Amino acid sequence: MKNGLLQIAALSLALVSMSFIGGCKDPNAAGTDKPGTSGSGSGSAASGDTIKIGMVASLNGEQRPWGVDCEAGGLLAVKLFNDAGGVNGKKVELVIEDSNSKPEEGKSAASKLAGDGVIAIIGEVASGISQQMKLVALDAKIPMVAVGATNPDVTKDGNGLISRVCYTDDLQGPVMAKFAIDKGLKRVAVMTDKKLPYSTGLSATFVKRYKELGGQIVAEESYQAGETNFGGQLTRVKATNPDGIFMSGYFNEVGPMSRQIRQAGMNNVVLMGGDGWDSADLISNGGDAIVGGFFCNHYNDKEDRPEVQKFLTDFKANNNGNLPGTTMGALGYDATALVLDALKRLGAANKEFTAENLAAEIMNTENFPAISGSITLKGTQGDPDKRALIVEVKKDGFQFYKSYEPAEVMAR
Amino acid sequence: MEAVFPLVAGLNLDFNALPQQLINGIIVGSIYALIALGYTMVYGVLRLINFAHGEVFMLGAYTALLTSYTMGYSPEAVKKIFQDGGEVSSNPLNLVILILISMAVCAVIGALIEFFAYRPMRGESRTAALITAIGVSLFLQYAGQLFLPANPPPSISDKVNPYSGSFSHVFKPAQIAEDGNVISTAMEVSITHGRLTMLVTVIVLMSLLTYLVMYTKAGRAMRAASHDFDSASLMGINVNRVVTFTFMLGSALAGAGAMMLATFEGTALQPFFGVLPGVKAFVAAVLGGIGNIPGAVLGGIVMGLAETFVTWLGFSQYKDAVAFVILIIVLLLKPGGLLGSSKVEKV
Repeated sequence: MKNGLLQIAALSLALVSMSFIGGCKDPNAAGTDKPGTSGSGSGSAASGDTIKIGMVASLNGEQRPWGVDCEAGGLLAVKLFNDAGGVNGKKVELVIEDSNSKPEEGKSAASKLAGDGVIAIIGEVASGISQQMKLVALDAKIPMVAVGATNPDVTKDGNGLISRVCYTDDLQGPVMAKFAIDKGLKRVAVMTDKKLPYSTGLSATFVKRYKELGGQIVAEESYQAGETNFGGQLTRVKATNPDGIFMSGYFNEVGPMSRQIRQAGMNNVVLMGGDGWDSADLISNGGDAIVGGFFCNHYNDKEDRPEVQKFLTDFKANNNGNLPGTTMGALGYDATALVLDALKRLGAANKEFTAENLAAEIMNTENFPAISGSITLKGTQGDPDKRALIVEVKKDGFQFYKSYEPAEVMAR
Repeated sequence: MEAVFPLVAGLNLDFNALPQQLINGIIVGSIYALIALGYTMVYGVLRLINFAHGEVFMLGAYTALLTSYTMGYSPEAVKKIFQDGGEVSSNPLNLVILILISMAVCAVIGALIEFFAYRPMRGESRTAALITAIGVSLFLQYAGQLFLPANPPPSISDKVNPYSGSFSHVFKPAQIAEDGNVISTAMEVSITHGRLTMLVTVIVLMSLLTYLVMYTKAGRAMRAASHDFDSASLMGINVNRVVTFTFMLGSALAGAGAMMLATFEGTALQPFFGVLPGVKAFVAAVLGGIGNIPGAVLGGIVMGLAETFVTWLGFSQYKDAVAFVILIIVLLLKPGGLLGSSKVEKV
């Protein structure tokens, strides 16, 4: 009996100490040896000469390509801001935490940033992760600017705190639906990643709008990220004789799926998708099968707008001559630059740099010249009215095909 | 019960698609069977569920990927050839090299895992060994995150696969109305040459395995050890060698399956890529009777067919749940599996 008690005591002690170790995440774990950040401080973020803003990005996991680009874009924005003198003699520090491509870890990353005393949180790229971060932002009353989250729910009930720099699926779905109709596609099948809030949301808005415009949804199948064989679903899709397939998931599955679509004999079907396709490796993952596909994106690096070209030049100069692999580089930059611009406006009005003031100023943003298009948050729920681009997948990259303004897409 | 009837009534059962879905199921199931063999053989000899087997599978896929890069099929190399206006092609010899290398590397990895992680646990309790297996699995997944290219998830270039055609036979063509609506669906079966190669290779590998296990001395030693480990040792069988041999065999099969999946299906690889197939193959092994080699094959095929059947019914959202439902049913009704025995060992 004594032995047993001793064992139980030892075990519980071990478990308790393990939970302490597990609970304390190393503050220097994620990217603190990058320019623009330093060790975590304490106290109000506006004290001293630095203003702290936070960013949550997926630096590991399936969404790493987007997270890494987002981080690079954000750091660039802060660097250019500080190099230009900062605001009222103060510099900005960007504290970055890793969400590991997982919603729960995004939430704890945001909590950590809130505890660190940041006055704004930037992030995330994925809707599922952003929805969890939103809870922390609302609780801590800190403004949050989402980078690439397109699910409309992210800014709902945001209390004036939650905004984003990208368009929402309320636009993206209808854009692709209009594109499909304009292209003469009458029978579209939809493949959804059932585990991704982004994918289920986008498919829903696409289906709704496509039907409203007179199109026929002939099949709706789903899969799960990580799956390798889509034979079963594609056999069902093929039997319905579609002329287009809308794949609303991430590029990781869209690549192999497009290969299997062609292998199933559906060679003339037009493949379409959303910004989840945006990755340098979509083409190598999908091969010839994905060439000729179309997807909706935030900007294209071959646009000749001055903001785009300046961004690319600056980015290359600060990243060893490399361009961002995905549009999240630009969106990460846009989100950070927007916050910095709001800080500047606070400084100009001689207001205090608190989270509350910053939140109000962010929502006052009008015609901010972002790389991904002009952003106005004033008078909105946190969703800017952005235009959407359709790009075509070519053998050597993405080529701009068409852009749609929100007004023409929503019109009957 | 009421909820079931509307569900059944609303089903749009396309019986013309059944033959094709059957083929789909067998193809999916054959890969599960290959992986399940590894689980079942290790369990047979050591009474240990090698949870790290899914990660060996993952490493096999990465081996095939990296080998294909050195053969000249990396994204940069392929892109450069395209930009220079050239063509990229492959030949069957490349596939043979890839599969042999994947199998060899996986065999070595399997042997190493056994030697460093499981052998020291040989005398310990079953629970301790099981936890070690889980630990190895997690270790490989997260070490993979550190060292393996997953940003963005790479996949083997589709140029590596020299087979682009497919065999198809139409029993009954589809009837399409003028506006494109489908009046009746086609009854046709088609299988790509790549998938057919996969199936043939699986059959060849399983035949080799059967020969090895049933007709060679090493196989006999394996069967003896799985029957009674200690007695086999007493009979003069070098059980350590048998265990290593078993691990190498199972891992090589997983490596072959991984290479084929990565090459012919073009799956995007990331360090957690082995988790889902690993779990499903584990269920397949349990379904067939863990420890029973034909059982693993049967279990794999049944799992593949069950998944595809659920998709055919129209519930593709639930097809992964099928694996776990099967596991629960098997454990409740016949824990010994389809071909296994549920005899109680009397001491």
